[in-house]
Amino acid sequence: MKLLAEAQRKGTLINLRDRYIHMLKNELIYSHPLRHIGHEGENIIQEGGFGAVLSRAGVGKTAFLVQLALYAMLANKYVLHISLNDPVDKVTLWYKELFNGLGQHYKIEQMNQLLQTILPYRFIMTFRVSSFSIPKLQERLTDLSEQNIFKPEIIIIDGFHFDGTTKDFLMNLRKLALKQSCRIWFSVHTHRHEESDPDGMPVRLSMIEDSFDLIIKLEPTGSIIRVEPIKGMESHDNRQPVYLDASTMLIKE
Amino acid sequence: MRPTTNDVRNIGISAHIDSGKTTLTERILYYTKRIHAIHDVKGKDGVGATMDSMELERERGITIASAATYCQWMDHEINIIDTPGHVDFTVEVERSLRVLDGAILVLCAVGGVQSQSITVDQQMKRYNIPCIAFINKCDRSGANPTRVINQLNKKLGHSAVAMQLPIGLEMNFQGVVDLVTMKALYFDGENGEAVRMEEIPESLLTAAQEKREELIDTASIFSDELTEAVLEEKDISADILLEAVRTGVLSRKITPVFMGSAYKNKAVQPLLDAVIRLLPCPADMKNEALTMDEGEAPITLSNDPDKPLVALAFKLEDGPYGQLTYIRVYQGTISKGATIVNARTGKKLKVGRVIRMHADQMEDIAAIPAGYIGALFGIDCASGDTFVSPGLNVTMTSMFVPEPVISLAIVPKDNKSQINMSKALGRFTKEDPTFKTYVDEETNETIIEGMGELHLEVYVERMKREYGAEVTTGHPRVAYRETITRKAEFNYTHKKQTGGAGQYGRVAGYIEPIEGNDFVFENRITGGSIPTQYIPACEKGFRQCMIKGPKLEFPVTGVKAVIYDGAAHSVDSSDMAFQAAARGAFLEAYAKAAPVIHEPIMRVVVETPTEFQGAIMGLLNQRRGMIVGSQDEGHMTVVEAQVPLAEMFGFSTVLRSSSQGQAQFTMEFALYKQVPQSISEKIIEEVAARKRNVA
Repeated sequence: MKLLAEAQRKGTLINLRDRYIHMLKNELIYSHPLRHIGHEGENIIQEGGFGAVLSRAGVGKTAFLVQLALYAMLANKYVLHISLNDPVDKVTLWYKELFNGLGQHYKIEQMNQLLQTILPYRFIMTFRVSSFSIPKLQERLTDLSEQNIFKPEIIIIDGFHFDGTTKDFLMNLRKLALKQSCRIWFSVHTHRHEESDPDGMPVRLSMIEDSFDLIIKLEPTGSIIRVEPIKGMESHDNRQPVYLDASTMLIKE
Repeated sequence: MRPTTNDVRNIGISAHIDSGKTTLTERILYYTKRIHAIHDVKGKDGVGATMDSMELERERGITIASAATYCQWMDHEINIIDTPGHVDFTVEVERSLRVLDGAILVLCAVGGVQSQSITVDQQMKRYNIPCIAFINKCDRSGANPTRVINQLNKKLGHSAVAMQLPIGLEMNFQGVVDLVTMKALYFDGENGEAVRMEEIPESLLTAAQEKREELIDTASIFSDELTEAVLEEKDISADILLEAVRTGVLSRKITPVFMGSAYKNKAVQPLLDAVIRLLPCPADMKNEALTMDEGEAPITLSNDPDKPLVALAFKLEDGPYGQLTYIRVYQGTISKGATIVNARTGKKLKVGRVIRMHADQMEDIAAIPAGYIGALFGIDCASGDTFVSPGLNVTMTSMFVPEPVISLAIVPKDNKSQINMSKALGRFTKEDPTFKTYVDEETNETIIEGMGELHLEVYVERMKREYGAEVTTGHPRVAYRETITRKAEFNYTHKKQTGGAGQYGRVAGYIEPIEGNDFVFENRITGGSIPTQYIPACEKGFRQCMIKGPKLEFPVTGVKAVIYDGAAHSVDSSDMAFQAAARGAFLEAYAKAAPVIHEPIMRVVVETPTEFQGAIMGLLNQRRGMIVGSQDEGHMTVVEAQVPLAEMFGFSTVLRSSSQGQAQFTMEFALYKQVPQSISEKIIEEVAARKRNVA
C-alpha cells in the first residue's frame, strides 16, 4: 500500500481506468464538430468575451449550448449553466440526453461512466427571469468560490430576454466575466416575423450587437439546421459548413 | 342494495410531508359522517387524527403506515388510503398507489411543489394513476395558488388547470368560486358543514370568467361536443365540461386543481364532489396479471365479481386479533368461508372474517367484490402476495422494490426482548419489502437493513413500543459493494486426490466489468472440453463468489464471467469439483481485475430560505457532495446534490442548526459510485478492525 502511495505521489503510477477515461475524452474532443468554425468550441471567444446563439423558438439553442458545455467539460473546464426557463431536473435531462446521443453517434459504450467523471465540472443554477440580476449572480458566485465549491470558466445563460435596456446589463456582466476570467454564452430568442439587418441580426438587437464577440445563427432548412456564424469569425473558404441534426439535435459536419 | 363498481372510487392522498393530507382525510371522514368529531394531528386534545392509528405517528405528527378507510359521498363509496409523505417510507406509498385507481395530490399553497411532491408524482406516473390536485392551506400567510399551479406545470410537467378561484387569501380566505357552475361557495357552520352557494362577488367576476375560458380551452381538446359548443358559442353545461375534464384526467393529460383549507374547514366538500365526478371507478382502469403457466404472459383482468378471484394483499398489520391483511380485489369476489389459494406459495386458505376498515376500527362484511378494498383476518401471507381461486394460476405484477442501502446491528437487552424482537422482525419484514433482516454469521449480530436512517429508527422504536423489545443499536453501516474495473483471465485447475473419491475440474476464461447488470455468465465452450452437465455447476460457483467479495466481503456486482475452455476427468469430475474450480478461478482473476469499492450515492434535495443557500452548499460540499444545481424559487432556494450515504448521518441536525430550523431535505438512492482512494483505505482499515474484534 505504501509503495502504491509513493508511486502515486511521484506520478509514476499509471491508473489504467483513468487512462482509459482520458482516452475516451480525447476521442470525443477530437471529434468536436465546432473545430471547423473556430478553434476548440470554448476557445472561440476570449476570456471575458460574450458569444450568442440566435434562433427562433424550438430550433435548438439550448441543445447547441449544452453541447458546447459538454465539450468544455470533457476538456476539464468548469461550466456554470444558468437557466431562466427550465428547472434543474430539465436541464440535467438535456445534458444526459445529448451526452447519450453523442455516445450512440460515436459508438462508445461506457458513456455512463464517462458522464460521471465530467459531471463535477458542471453546476446548474436556475433563476426566475424577474429575479435574475448581476448582484444576485455575483453573490452566488462568491458563495461558491469562497467555499471552494465551484469556479466557472464558462457561463451559459439560457433564456435571457434581450431588449433595449439590456446594454447596461451586458456592460456590467462583462466586468463580472473579466473579474471571474470566464467566457459567457447566451441563447437569443428571435421571432419569425422580426426584421433583420443584412447580417441576419434582428434589428431589435442591433443596439447590442457590438456587445458580442461572436454570434452564431441557427437556421432550419428541412430536416437539418444550419449553424451559421454571423459575427466574429473570419470567413475562410475551406471551412466546412456545420449542421444540427434536427432529430437528435446533435451537431454534425 | 350494494353499490355497483361504477359507484366506487379507490383513491389515495399523496403529498409532501406536512402538506396537511392527514388533516384533509380527517375532514373528509367528518363530512362523510364516518366520524363525529374532528381531532387535529397535533391537536391540543391529544386524540390525534383518526387516520394516524399508530401511537408513534401521533407523537411525531406524521403518518407512517397507510391506513385504509372507507366513506360514502353522494351514494358513492370512497376507499381512501392515507399514504406517508416521508421519502424513507416510499415503499408504502408505492404499494398504496399500486392498488389505487386515482389520487388526490395535496400541495401546500405556501410551499408549493416541494421535492417530495416530485417523488410522489413520479410514482403516480409509474403506476399511471390519474390525479386531481388540491392546494391546501390557502388561509396561511404567503398562500399563492396561482404560483402553485405554475409550479405544477413547470416542475412536474402537468397540464394543470384551475377548477376554482379563491375568494380572498391568507387571513381573508372565505371560500371558492366554482368555475364550472360559476357560483361562489362559502362554508358555514361550526365545522364548515353547511355549503352556501351565492353569486360570484363583483370584484372576482372578470377573473372568474377569464379562468373559466382557460378551463374550457384546455378541456375542449378532450371533447368534440365541448369544442362544437364553443365554436357555435352555445351555453356550456356543467355536464359537458366535467365530462371533458374527466376524459383528460383519465388519460393523465390534465390535472384539475381545487383549492381550500382543510384545517379551516373550507372547500373540502367540492373536492369530494370532484373525486366522484372526475376520478375513475375501478372499471375505468385496466389491470393486468401475469399467468404463471405461460411464461408470465400478461392477461387483462375483468372487473366482473362473478369471475374467478384475483386479489392482491397490499398491506399487513398486526392487530389484537392476529394478522390483518389489506386486500384489493381485481376480479371475482372474496367472501367469508370461501377457499382461496396464495399464488406465491400455492397454499390453500379458508377465508375467516372479512372486514372493512375504518382507520383502527372495523366492520364485518360478508364479501369483497371486484374493485373494492377490504381486509381479511387470520390469513398467513406476506405483503404483495396474490390470492386466486383454486385452479387459476396468475400473479399480479411484481412491485418495484428498491434494494436497501443502509444497515444497523441491533442487540436485544435481555432474553424477553430477544423473543419479542424476533416476533417484531418477522412482522416488519412481512409488512415492508424494503426492510430486511439477517444474522451476521461472523459477529452473530442481528442486522436490519432499510432505506435510510429514519426508516430504521422508526422500526427500532416500533419494536420497543409495540413489542416491548428493548434493543441497543450499533453504528449504521453503509451497503458498500465491490466490483472489478478491468478484464482478467483465469485458468484454474481444482484437483484433490487425498484419499476417497478424487475431485478434478479445470476452467479457463475471463471476467470483465459490465454496466447495468449484477452478474452475467456466458458459456463459450466448444468441443465439450467441459461436459454440458457441469456448466451450471460452474455458474453456481461464480455466483457463490458474488455474494461476498474476496476483497472486503461486500457483495460483488457488475461482473461478466466467460468460460471458453476447461477439462474434466471421467471419474473424478463432479458438480462439486466444478463449483470449487469456478470459485478458485474467480479468486484468481478477481485479484488481477483491479477490484474497487462502490458506495451508494444519494440524491439529496434541500429546500432552504435563500439567505442560507451558501451555507447549505458548503455543508453538502464538506460531505463529499457534488452539487448538481440550485434553483431559485423566490424566497426559497432548492439545492440539489449527490452525496455519499456514508456522509449523510446526522445531516438533519446539522441542517437544522445552520438554517435556524427553516431548511428541510429529502433524500433517495441515486446510484452506486466508486469510492475515492483515501476513503477506500479507511474502509479497508475499518473492515480489518471489525474482523479483528470478531476474532
